[in-house]
Amino acid sequence: MSRYLVNKLMWEVDRSDEAVEGFKADAGVVLDEWEARTLHPMPPYPEGGTLTVDERRAIENRDYGSLYAMGVNPFLLWQFARAISVPEETSIEELVASFREAAEPHGYPDFFT
Amino acid sequence: MGVTHNPLMWAELRNSVPDDLAGVAANFGQFRSVVSDLAPDVIVLVASDHFHMLMTANMPAFMIGKAPMMRAAFPNEMRHFGLSPKQVIGDPALAAHLLGGRDLAPDMDFAFSDEPWLDHSFLVPLLLLTPKLDVPVVPVFTNCNAPPIPTAARFSELGTYLAEAIRGLGSSRRVLAIGSGHLAHELGGPRQFLGTSPDPDFDQKAVSWMADGKLEEAMAATSFDRLTEAGNESYQFLNFITCLAAAGGRAANFAEGTPTRFGALPFFSWDVP
Repeated sequence: MSRYLVNKLMWEVDRSDEAVEGFKADAGVVLDEWEARTLHPMPPYPEGGTLTVDERRAIENRDYGSLYAMGVNPFLLWQFARAISVPEETSIEELVASFREAAEPHGYPDFFT
Repeated sequence: MGVTHNPLMWAELRNSVPDDLAGVAANFGQFRSVVSDLAPDVIVLVASDHFHMLMTANMPAFMIGKAPMMRAAFPNEMRHFGLSPKQVIGDPALAAHLLGGRDLAPDMDFAFSDEPWLDHSFLVPLLLLTPKLDVPVVPVFTNCNAPPIPTAARFSELGTYLAEAIRGLGSSRRVLAIGSGHLAHELGGPRQFLGTSPDPDFDQKAVSWMADGKLEEAMAATSFDRLTEAGNESYQFLNFITCLAAAGGRAANFAEGTPTRFGALPFFSWDVP
């Protein structure tokens, strides 16, 4: 599990209007580009890193319950979920309710990195 | 003093005041007039960046910003909350003093930033307490969002240290210390946006610790795990432990968890020592 990388991905997407719009249009394209960059990063992470298959799938599918259960940072997760939600498809009320339902079974997982 | 920085609350207060936020608006009005009467020369503002300036590639426990002018509000905060970019005046001389002068304060081991950029945890209290942003600010960043988080004892030591360092200025400068944080609060978990507090019992105790000046009791009851029980964003209550310690553990002259749709929002103030 690469909890820090998942947090970093969510953090970087939410910080960039361009990435947010790109993710809404085609999450796979944004993730391909991001993973290619992250695999060969600048120091201090010379060996690079990558998302696990499960992590990537959960992000791509907006599977917030799985991400929450993996112990990603709850604040970053919610900001990310809000950022990439499409209000025309999912209202904020629906997002709040579905997010809560997805997190509920998992209690309070450790989110230390 | 200690106040909420809830950005959704701030967004709701921009136009007309909704019924459930009337108490919050009144408290901010009262606190604003206190600040105005005190006429501080500078504000030391203890708050917790929410992954805007700082990420866990580098995560200081306590960091002091020492720039003469600081940016405030990040692009994603503009998108999420409708905040506008601002500039906030700094006070590098006081920041340098708080850092310890020529030798870094030995017991605090602060990190520092020459390019602090303030997120809503700093900006919302400033917009509501000093709307003209005309009072210089020394920001003290505390890590309340990325565990491991410093213990309550460390937040208490921070308050004691800041109060002593401010007294040590030996000048007639008027320094107002403000803490920014939450009572029981949850975001990104099963109890977010319940329309009420995730832990009313914690709120009640937390307010009484401030009202009665119970620093030791507050520290004993605010471990990471207990704060998680109160809600996974409750760690920022620790900034109020810093306030209480800075006030020498004295009872607050005002302590309230004002009920709102966002849970109980904190307001604490102490007499001038």
